[in-house]
Amino acid sequence: MDELLRQFRWSATAIGLLAVGFAQIVLADDATPVDFVRDVRPILQRSCQRCHGAEKQKGDYRLDVRQSALHNGESYAPNIIPGKADDSPLIKFVTGDGDVVMPPEGKPLTAAEVRTLRQWIDQGAKWPDDVAGELKDKSDWWSLRPLSLKDHFAGNLSIDHFIRAKLTAAGLRPAIEADRLTLIRRVSFDLIGLPPTPEEVSQFVGDVEPNAYERLVDRLLDSPRFGERWARHWLDAAHFAETHGHDQDRIREHAWPYRDYLIQSLNADKPYGQLIQEQVAGDVLYPDDPQATVALGFLAAGPWDESSLKDIREDTLDRQIARYLDRDDMIATVINNVSGLTVQCARCHDHKFDPISQADYYALQAVFSGVERANRSYDPDVDVGTRRRTLLKRKLQLQQKSAEFVATLLSPAHQQLVGDWEHKLGTQGAVWKPVEPESWTSSDGATLTRLPDGSVLSGGTRPDKDTVTIIAAVTLPKVTAVKLEVLNDDSLPHRGPGRQDNGNLHLSEFEVYIDGSDTRLELVNPRADFDQQDWGIARAIDKSEPTAWGIYPKVSQPHAAAFELREPLNVSGLTKLRFVLKQRHGGGHLIGRARLMISDATPPVRLDLLPEPIAAILATRLENRTEQQRVELTLFQMGEEVDRELSLLPKPSLVYTAAAEFEPQGGLVPPPGPRPIQILHRGDIKQPRDPALPGALECVTGLPSRFDVASEAPESARRAALARWLTDPKNPLTWRVIVNRVWHHHFGRGLVGTLNDFGHMGELPTHPELLDWLASEFRDGDQSLKKLHRQIVTSATYRQSVHAMAEAPIANLDPENRLLSHMNRTRLDAECLRDAVLQASGRLDLRMGGPSDRQFDLQSGIHVTPKVDYTKFNLDSDLGRRRSIYRFLFRTLPDPFMETLDCPSGDQITPVRTNSVTVQQALALWNDVFIARNCEHIAARVEGETNSSQASDAELLRKRVDRTVELILCRRPTDDERIELTAYAMKHGLANVCRLLLNSNEFLFVN
Amino acid sequence: MINLPYSLPMRRDFLATVAGGFGSVALTDLLGRSRLFADAPQPGFNGGLHHPAKVRRVIQLFMNGGASQMDLFDYKPELFRRAGEKFDPGTNERVEAATSAPGNVLKPPFELHQRGQCGRWISDLLPHLAGHVDDMAFFMAMTSKTNVHGPGSYLMNTGFLLPGFPCFGAWVSYGLGSLTDNLPTFVVLPDARGLPYNQKGNFSAGFLPVTHQGTIINTTLPEPIADLRAPASATFITPEADRDGLALLQRLNRAHLAANDQDSRLEARIRSYELAARMQLSAPEAFDIGSESEATQKQYGLDQTPTADFGKRCLIARRLIERDVRFVQVWSGAGGPSNNWDNHNSIVKELAPMCLSTDQPIAALLADLKQRGLLEDTVVLWNTEFGRMPFSQGSEGRDHNGGSFVGWMAGAGVKGGTSYGESDPWAWRAVHDVTTNYDFHATVLHLLGIDHERLSVRHNGANRRLTDVHGHVVRELLS
Repeated sequence: MDELLRQFRWSATAIGLLAVGFAQIVLADDATPVDFVRDVRPILQRSCQRCHGAEKQKGDYRLDVRQSALHNGESYAPNIIPGKADDSPLIKFVTGDGDVVMPPEGKPLTAAEVRTLRQWIDQGAKWPDDVAGELKDKSDWWSLRPLSLKDHFAGNLSIDHFIRAKLTAAGLRPAIEADRLTLIRRVSFDLIGLPPTPEEVSQFVGDVEPNAYERLVDRLLDSPRFGERWARHWLDAAHFAETHGHDQDRIREHAWPYRDYLIQSLNADKPYGQLIQEQVAGDVLYPDDPQATVALGFLAAGPWDESSLKDIREDTLDRQIARYLDRDDMIATVINNVSGLTVQCARCHDHKFDPISQADYYALQAVFSGVERANRSYDPDVDVGTRRRTLLKRKLQLQQKSAEFVATLLSPAHQQLVGDWEHKLGTQGAVWKPVEPESWTSSDGATLTRLPDGSVLSGGTRPDKDTVTIIAAVTLPKVTAVKLEVLNDDSLPHRGPGRQDNGNLHLSEFEVYIDGSDTRLELVNPRADFDQQDWGIARAIDKSEPTAWGIYPKVSQPHAAAFELREPLNVSGLTKLRFVLKQRHGGGHLIGRARLMISDATPPVRLDLLPEPIAAILATRLENRTEQQRVELTLFQMGEEVDRELSLLPKPSLVYTAAAEFEPQGGLVPPPGPRPIQILHRGDIKQPRDPALPGALECVTGLPSRFDVASEAPESARRAALARWLTDPKNPLTWRVIVNRVWHHHFGRGLVGTLNDFGHMGELPTHPELLDWLASEFRDGDQSLKKLHRQIVTSATYRQSVHAMAEAPIANLDPENRLLSHMNRTRLDAECLRDAVLQASGRLDLRMGGPSDRQFDLQSGIHVTPKVDYTKFNLDSDLGRRRSIYRFLFRTLPDPFMETLDCPSGDQITPVRTNSVTVQQALALWNDVFIARNCEHIAARVEGETNSSQASDAELLRKRVDRTVELILCRRPTDDERIELTAYAMKHGLANVCRLLLNSNEFLFVN
Repeated sequence: MINLPYSLPMRRDFLATVAGGFGSVALTDLLGRSRLFADAPQPGFNGGLHHPAKVRRVIQLFMNGGASQMDLFDYKPELFRRAGEKFDPGTNERVEAATSAPGNVLKPPFELHQRGQCGRWISDLLPHLAGHVDDMAFFMAMTSKTNVHGPGSYLMNTGFLLPGFPCFGAWVSYGLGSLTDNLPTFVVLPDARGLPYNQKGNFSAGFLPVTHQGTIINTTLPEPIADLRAPASATFITPEADRDGLALLQRLNRAHLAANDQDSRLEARIRSYELAARMQLSAPEAFDIGSESEATQKQYGLDQTPTADFGKRCLIARRLIERDVRFVQVWSGAGGPSNNWDNHNSIVKELAPMCLSTDQPIAALLADLKQRGLLEDTVVLWNTEFGRMPFSQGSEGRDHNGGSFVGWMAGAGVKGGTSYGESDPWAWRAVHDVTTNYDFHATVLHLLGIDHERLSVRHNGANRRLTDVHGHVVRELLS
């Protein structure tokens, strides 16, 4: 995202300081040729290269390499103009002759030094070849080199082959295989995130048939628990949570389907390429599969700044900045996790270390420029989805009106349908007529203006409250209904229709009188096209001023409300109506632009009205209608029919994803299409430069880095192109990154330690050949993650004991066990720990999927963010018993217990969790109510299971202790442990034994 | 005053026992309480990491919502002269506001006067604080990258607009570690009415180990620190069961350790239970303000409703600092549209009560710290996420303004009675000696003996700092 900086090294300073002495003795007159190495370079080294050298290149400029010194630089290049010292920015900087002063800190250059630099430049800035230095070719890098075909690797290879070769070379021996108890606990937590039950342990330990371990692995991989475990790893990387984060931490009611998609897809062992394609562009690439749309939850999983992206004004720079940052998060989510490159570092300037240009970065911005994060509708039922797509296609056809299509419309069959429709329509088709306002007044000083369409616009200083009175002549002989339209206008906040800062309005009372009298006409059957929650239209005629009609969050669009007159009003030519619009809620919740209409149709009247041209056609006798009119009418009738059929389909489900089309929410409206993206100089919104076209990274050779997508194509075409780019077999990153990610979660450390950074700042692979072999096997096979898991966990390397063979030398030869001479001990993560506790208590509920369990008390907050209280949750309720992956994840207020165990909040992409041991963690495990309550449950379970009247009390207690240890540690206690624990149980009860065991290192760690 | 971090010798012993595996990682994490750097805090540096420290402890007072600079400290005659006129800065810059259409110039409804020897302008709404201006150093022209609360609060607390980065207190905890094992290193005291914008996001350890995150103290609960004791509902946990259990647990864990090579994490966990036990013993006393004299309680305003909550938290802050908590953050105002410093509707009605609730307590805190000699090595910071507009929102409110705002500090290493920077004639934009959150943080880190450019952690491919790639120490405000 920003400049990458390496830590400053003392040695650099030391060299610089030594150079001072030499620099100052150079006192050449103008004629003496300046020697670069003798005279100039020491100055540059001392004064410039701390920030413009090998370590840092501030402003994309370095003064230790000729190429860069003479040509590069973000803002002022070229900084050195040979022969023209006076024109060279460098001289201006060091003399302080301008805005920029160099060096910004520390001693400025002496007059003599400046003179030396001037002379050198004026003499042609000669910089000898042998000290020219070289800019590193960033694209020559291991992870970007093509991945060999699977056949490249000859012979009968295996993971163990590669691992052992390195061990032998280092003089190390592999550890022996772990015992069966250790193996089953290890591989169970690893593959399904749960410990084995005591029964499973004894079954496996006693299994004398061949391939007992392989069969165990297959059973675990086939378990639905597998997807629940491994989806969690991917959710960390996607930084998934179910609220927006930021200051308006609103709940995402529809985020959970994405979590279920992941679990199902992993259980079904979907090929990895497809898994990625679906998560980036499933809606276009797999349109018939509703789950492929749900998959787009990946792009929207991260935080979202509701204030900046929805509430503040559309015309602010803050809104634009927020959009770039929001897309930045989508880009990072995809490229960090799938490609293992820190592309976001190229937002302000070309990537400092990796071959990623700013142009590449903004090409990726362009890929996502047509989407927002929002609730997108989809049909979980495939048939309903097909039907809906057919109808929507028909609707599009009706709008496009191709000649070919229109030609079919006058067929007798069509005309029959139109006739039936017209018959049924009866008088409902009557027109609403706008009234002609004759006077309009504001009680509180708003400036009202009548517009040509008969509407009245409120402007000027915004009063807190207002009552608007409009008097208008009636142009129909009879009035049966009145309608109020509230309309948009560019002068209004969010274009209105309200005058409140958020575009809302509150209509306290809507009153209609016969002018000149106090006779209030009684209005009934109120209907509005939209009601704000708890602010329904009925409140506008309930004769109570504190209640009102509102339209939030559907601002920026017009709305309408219709009312019928209880008694139709017969009018003479002189009757006028007085409309009183009371807006007494306060806070400037005023109607921005209102239009009033009347109708003489027989109720019930349609709120949405026939458009005037259609009404006119209907008023024309059938035989007098022109062909054109008949076509228009048919199109209209067919549109109505399509809408009717659509309304009969089951309501679509919603999922929170990247979306181009969605219901507007206040200031968040669907983008008009892909938004234009410009390369931002220094990442600054005020310095837009060249337009960017959709594309990806140029450093991946063999694939086009800019996408062949027509400018008028829908935004989805851009995402589809990116999805194909990511999953192309020629893209070497994707496959290396995924096999390394899987490896990490099995061994606690990847072959490349930096899972999401395969660039120059990342780690190098410990076993590059192994990585490439695994990656090419994976890519060129069926991209089955389950096969990869099986391959890894059945290796001898994985099955090793945690105890190294040679004790003393290991610490010296390979202190971090990078060569895997033994297995790594891992700590249970938050979810494994919680699930294991629930399983031990016998209360784990294995019900899968659906909305997340909110393990907190939820109250509405002062503003958007609700009040969340974890201490008030009833742990014994059914919401507290499912696997941890089904917990609701509240971004700015995560579960404190899980947090102490390093469960991420979803704020940051988290490929690798921290693994801490802290005082807070000790306190939580020792005292938290979750542990305490489950200790009681485990004890009750054990007591229930061992209720033998024959045994003596002491014997019974020993049995119970045995069972408790078995449930929690997966093994029987030793004799010593049995004695101590039984004595403790005797004194303090079994629940306290549970508490102790759940706090033990043996429980918390996996050997 | 040279005061060795308590656990330094222990840490060295600890290191000696490390062998292989994940040793160094786990140690760093556990010892997050007293972080083991390659360049650990140097005894000769008076607790500093890179150079001698003047400050060892920090109290940060955070005014949630965007406190109005021109109404409190940044006196602008132009606002009085042009009151009611259309706002025209005369710079051809587009005038926009985050949530409203710009109104006319709004003059401060309360008077400001010059106080102290330094002649600092300060609002009549802050009569108590006015007595301390000669101890305070002002950043008069701070600027933010945003005009929105969420990103603004993140920026001022973590140095980034987006969530997930470590906050100031977490960085200090990470860089310098703890001064005591009896209490958390970094404590947050939120407003009794609720958490600020971004809730816990503002006190997050981000990608640093979770041990560095702010421990939230809910002063309205009988048990201010979560999980310090077993829950009352767990009747099976008696004090004896607790004591015997802990002893047996440690025996089992040692036996397990003996059978499992030398793994520093296993050792670290054994040690963490010992530290937890110490905290259980010491923490309740620290929060017991009943032991403070009536005069002190009155001084902080505990006897009056408007000041009771903030005063109590300021007093607790002093008690914590006194007991060697490294960093205490005290919040004024919860999230949401009211009862904080986000005064959109009325400066008169909304700003005055916020000043009333904080003025006397902050003055008391400064006086109390000084009187006890704690200001010798403690710095008090006053911050907010951005300022407010010179023109009105509605009739008498002000919208957000990232263009210019004010922060101040007082205490050790601070040159009292000074100010740095100047805004334009309307306090709309910072124009001279402009400072940012980065500069503010760099300056305070400098006082703590930390070079802000060298306190960094590699995360997702980038070396991250509290000051991102920016920040200059504002030496003009240092003594």
